[in-house]
Amino acid sequence: MTLQSQASSADKEVGGTLGQRVRAFAGHPLFRGDAQVLHEPNPYRRMLVPDALAESDFDRPPAAGQWSAHRSLAAHRLLGTFYEAETVLLPEQGLAELHDDFDLFYGTELRGLREGSLSELERFAFGCLDDAVDVSGATTREALDAYFQHVVAEAGAGPSPALKAIAEARDRESAADLYLVQLALDGLTEASAMSRNLAGAYGPEQSALFKIFIDEFGYGVYDAKHTTIFAKMLRSRAMATHVHAYWNFYLAGPLATNNYYYYLSRDHAKFFRYAGAVTYAEAIFAPAFVEMVKVFRDIFGDAVDLHYCDEHAHIDAHHGRITKEQVLLALADRHGPRVVPELLRGVAEARLVGGWFEEDTAAQIRWADDLSRHRELAGAAPTSDAPPGRIVLSPESPFGTRGHDDAMVLEIERGEADLIATPTGPAERLTRGDALLIPAGRLYGVKAVSPEAVCRLHTVTPSD
Amino acid sequence: MTRVIVMDLSRHNTVMVGHDRYFILQADGRRLLVRDYCPHRGGPLSLARRTPDGRRLSCPWHGTKVGVAAVQRTCLPMVLSGDEAVVLLPEGEDAPVSVIRKEVLANLPPDAPCADGTGGPNTRTTGAATGDAATTGTPCP
Repeated sequence: MTLQSQASSADKEVGGTLGQRVRAFAGHPLFRGDAQVLHEPNPYRRMLVPDALAESDFDRPPAAGQWSAHRSLAAHRLLGTFYEAETVLLPEQGLAELHDDFDLFYGTELRGLREGSLSELERFAFGCLDDAVDVSGATTREALDAYFQHVVAEAGAGPSPALKAIAEARDRESAADLYLVQLALDGLTEASAMSRNLAGAYGPEQSALFKIFIDEFGYGVYDAKHTTIFAKMLRSRAMATHVHAYWNFYLAGPLATNNYYYYLSRDHAKFFRYAGAVTYAEAIFAPAFVEMVKVFRDIFGDAVDLHYCDEHAHIDAHHGRITKEQVLLALADRHGPRVVPELLRGVAEARLVGGWFEEDTAAQIRWADDLSRHRELAGAAPTSDAPPGRIVLSPESPFGTRGHDDAMVLEIERGEADLIATPTGPAERLTRGDALLIPAGRLYGVKAVSPEAVCRLHTVTPSD
Repeated sequence: MTRVIVMDLSRHNTVMVGHDRYFILQADGRRLLVRDYCPHRGGPLSLARRTPDGRRLSCPWHGTKVGVAAVQRTCLPMVLSGDEAVVLLPEGEDAPVSVIRKEVLANLPPDAPCADGTGGPNTRTTGAATGDAATTGTPCP
C-alpha cells in the first residue's frame, strides 16, 4: 500500500516464473490503483494491489478448500483482467480522454505478458477442480439426467446462504448492495464468456445456445439488454453503473465463479464441460432470482428496480429448460456416452464453484455487519510473536483491498484510518490503539483519514 | 430409472445394494466405488491386501490375485465433489440400499501391517489359473 515508481516493469518480464510474470503485469501503471475507493469510469484501470500480490506464492496452487486464500483472490483478479482483455471494453462516455489507456490495455506489452501466463495461471487457479471433482463408472444419459435433477432439486430446496445472510443482517441495505456488487461482476458484461461458444458448427445445440444468447443481448435492443437492465437496478440503489466501479469489492468466490465460465469457454476441449456448467447455472438462476426478489422487496419495498431479477426469474425458467433438453441431453444423445462424463463434470464443477460464490458472499456480509464485535475479539485473539507487518498510509495512498490466509489483528499505531469492508456501508473508523480482528479470507481495505496513519498487522495463532 | 445415493466419504466407504456390496477403492489417485466381490468365489476384495507391486489384490478367501485395473472396471457411476459422492445406480437396481463404514484393507500399502499386527498380504499363489478375465492369480487350495 505504498506508492511505487511509475515506470513499467512489464517489458522486463516476458520470461521468468509465473509469479514473476504476473507481478510484472500487476506492476503496470494501469493496475496500481489510485486514492479513490471506487474506480472511475475507465474499464482499463483496475487495482491489482501489486504490493500484496508480491506476497503470493504462485508455486503453490490453492486447493479447492482454499478458494478465499489471498493468492486465490490475487490469481482471480488477474485472470478476470486477462479474460476481459479478450473482450471489447469501451467507456460509455467515449474514448477521447482514455485512448492512451485503451492502447496500453490492449497493447503488445501487456498482451505478451497475458499470453505468456494465461494457461499457467488457469492451471494455478482451477487445477484444484481436477482433484476436487471426479466422475467415474459407466455413465449414461439416464445417469446424467438423474444427477442433474438431483443437484438442481437440492439447490432449490435450501435458501441461498448469501441471501439468508442479507435477510439476517443488521444493516440489510449495505448487505444487499454488497451482493449486488458481486452480481455486477458478470451483470455489466453479461454473457461475454458464452459468446465464445457461439462460433463453429455443432448443429441444433448451437442454435439452442444462441437463443439464450440473444435473450441476454435483448434481441439487439440496447434498452432490453440484460446489462442495461442490470445497470437500472444499480441506479435505483444510487450505485455506480460503469464497469468495475466496485472492483475493489469483488470477492474471491464470485471472481472465481465468473472466471470459471471464461476458463471453460476459452478452451473448446472443455466444451462439453461448459455445456454441463451453463445448464446447471441456467437451471438454478430462475428460482434464485425469485428468492432474491423476495429478499430485496422486503428490504427496499418499491424503491428498488428489480426488472433485472424479474426478467431472469422469467426467462431463466425457459433457459433452464432449453439448456437441459436442447443442449445438455441433446449433446449426450447426439455424441454418445463418451461425452457424458464431461457433461457431468461441468455440472458438478459449476455446483462446487457456485458454492464458493455463496459462501464467500455470506461470510463477508456477516463479518462486515458485525465489525464492532470484531473489535472486541481482537483484544482476546492470541497473536504470533513474530514482528507485525507495518503499513504507512496517507490519504493519497492508492486504495486497494485484500485478504489474508490467516486471521489477523489490525491495530492502529498512529493516526486515524477507515477500515472499509463493503461498497456502500459505513466505514469503521479506527484511531490510535484501536484493533479489529480480520478473519482469514475476509476482504478489506484501509484508508488513512489523518495526514499519516500507521497500521500494524499481527497474525493470529490458532487456539488449541 | 436411475437411483441417486449420496454418501459422505469422510463417514462412509461402503454401499449395500440388496445383497451386493460396493466399497471405495483408492487407485491411481482416484476413489472409485467398486464391487466387493472376488470373481473366483465371491470373496470380499475390500479385505484383500495389495501385492508387493501394488497392482493386484490378493483375496483373503483363497489368495486369488485380482488385477486392480480389473476391479476398477466394476465401478458404479459416481460423481465425486470433495468428500461428497453421488452414486448413480443404474436402472433396474431397485433393491434396498444402505451406506455404512467398514474396514477396508485393500487401500493399505502392500507392506502396511494388518490391524491385528500380523503383517503383510497373503502371498500364497499355488494352483492353476482360473481363466477368469478379472483374475490374474490363483486360488489357494
